[in-house]
Amino acid sequence: MKAPRALQPMFVLIGLAILLIALTAVARAISALAGFLVEREVVLQVWLVGLLVVGAIFARVVRRSMRRDDSPSSLWLITVTGLVLASPLALMLLQHPSP
Amino acid sequence: MTLAGVLTLGYIGISSYIAEQLVYETPKPIVRTPANLGLRFASVTVPSRDDHINLKGWFIPGVLPDGRLTVDRVIVVVHGTRTNREGPGDHLLELTAALARHGLGVLSFDMRGMGESPPAPLSMGNLEQRDVLGAVDLLRSGRLPFPELGRPRIIGGLGISMGAATLLLAAAREPAIRAVVSDSAYADAAPLLEREIPKRTVAVVGRIPGVFAPSALVMARVLYGVDLFAARPVDTIARIAPRPLLLIHGAADDYVPISNFQQLDAAATSPRTARVTTWVVPNTRHAQAFKNTGSVYVARVVAFFETSLGSDHTSAGAAA
Repeated sequence: MKAPRALQPMFVLIGLAILLIALTAVARAISALAGFLVEREVVLQVWLVGLLVVGAIFARVVRRSMRRDDSPSSLWLITVTGLVLASPLALMLLQHPSP
Repeated sequence: MTLAGVLTLGYIGISSYIAEQLVYETPKPIVRTPANLGLRFASVTVPSRDDHINLKGWFIPGVLPDGRLTVDRVIVVVHGTRTNREGPGDHLLELTAALARHGLGVLSFDMRGMGESPPAPLSMGNLEQRDVLGAVDLLRSGRLPFPELGRPRIIGGLGISMGAATLLLAAAREPAIRAVVSDSAYADAAPLLEREIPKRTVAVVGRIPGVFAPSALVMARVLYGVDLFAARPVDTIARIAPRPLLLIHGAADDYVPISNFQQLDAAATSPRTARVTTWVVPNTRHAQAFKNTGSVYVARVVAFFETSLGSDHTSAGAAA
C-alpha cells in the first residue's frame, strides 16, 4: 500500500495542473466578452494566483507524504514526482537555443 | 523536490508574464491619410473572415493616366507587425500612394490589435490571415465606397514583413488573390521570435533572458490560445502556384535573415507550375527595400502586377 500512497503527490500535481488549465480557459472565455484588453489581464491574474495556490497545496501534500513514507521505494517515487514537476523546465531548457 | 517546485513555478510564472507582454502592445496612432498625399480615398470597415472583427481601413481608387479613377484591379496591402496601415517605419503610405497613382486600386487596413483596429492578440499571421481573407471578402461581395466605379475585377496582394507572411498564409487558402508580392516575409515565426524575445525588455522583468523565450511562446498558447508555432508560411506557400509570386528580401536583413527568403523560395518553386520571381535588394535591411530604392521598387512591383493581373479594363470612371 506504500507505493500507491507515495504516488499521491504526483496524482495531486497532475490533477491540479489540469484543474488550473481548465479554470484559466473558463476565465478566458468569460473575460473575452469584455474585450481582449480585459481578457489579457484577467487570464494572467487567474493563472498566477492559481500557480501559487497549486504550489502551496502541492507542497503540503508532499510534506505529508514524506512524513508518512520513508521506505526506499517511496523515496524513489517521490523523486520521480520531483522529476515530473521539473519536466516543463527541463523540456524548455533542452529546446534552448532553438534550431 | 522543493527546489524543483520553486524553480518550475518561478519559470512558468515569469514565462506567463512575458507571454502577456508579447501578445499585445499599445497600437501606434495613425497620423496621415492618403489625402495628405493628394489621393481620394474612403474609410472602410473590413470584417475579418470567421471571427468578424471590424478592422479599420482605407479604400483608395487607382488613378489612370487621364485622371479617371478605377477599381478594376485592387491590391490588398498588408502592413507589418506593431505598426499600422500608414506604416511610418517602412513608408507604406507612400508605397500605397505610388500604386494608386499607377492605376491600381488599394485596400489597406490595420490588422487586428494594431492601428485603429480593435485590440486582439498578436499571432504573427496565424489569426491575422483572417483579416486578409476578410479584405478579399469585402472586395468580392461587401459594400464598397465609390459605387459608381463598380466592383474590382481582379485582386492582388502586397505585404511587408509580418504582413507578407500573413498574406502568404491567406493566399495559400484563397484563390481569389491572383498575384502576391511578399516583401521581407519570414518562413517560420517561432525561431524568429525565440531569437528576438531576448533582445526585448518588458516591464518589471527588464531584458528577457533567452531561456524564457520558448516557454513564453508555449504560455501564449496556454493562456491566450495564440499558436505562434503555427505561423509557418513555408508550409503553405507552394499552394499559391500557379499564381504569380514576387519574393523581395533585403540582403542585409538582420531581423528576418535571408535564409528565410531562401526557404520560402525553395518551397514556392517546388510545384512544377510555380511562377516565382525573386529580387534580393543589396545593402538593404529589414523591410527597407521601398525606402532604399523608391521608384525602382515601384516600377518592379507595378510591372509585376501589370503582367500578373493584366491591364486596366475600365472604359469609364469618375474624374479624380
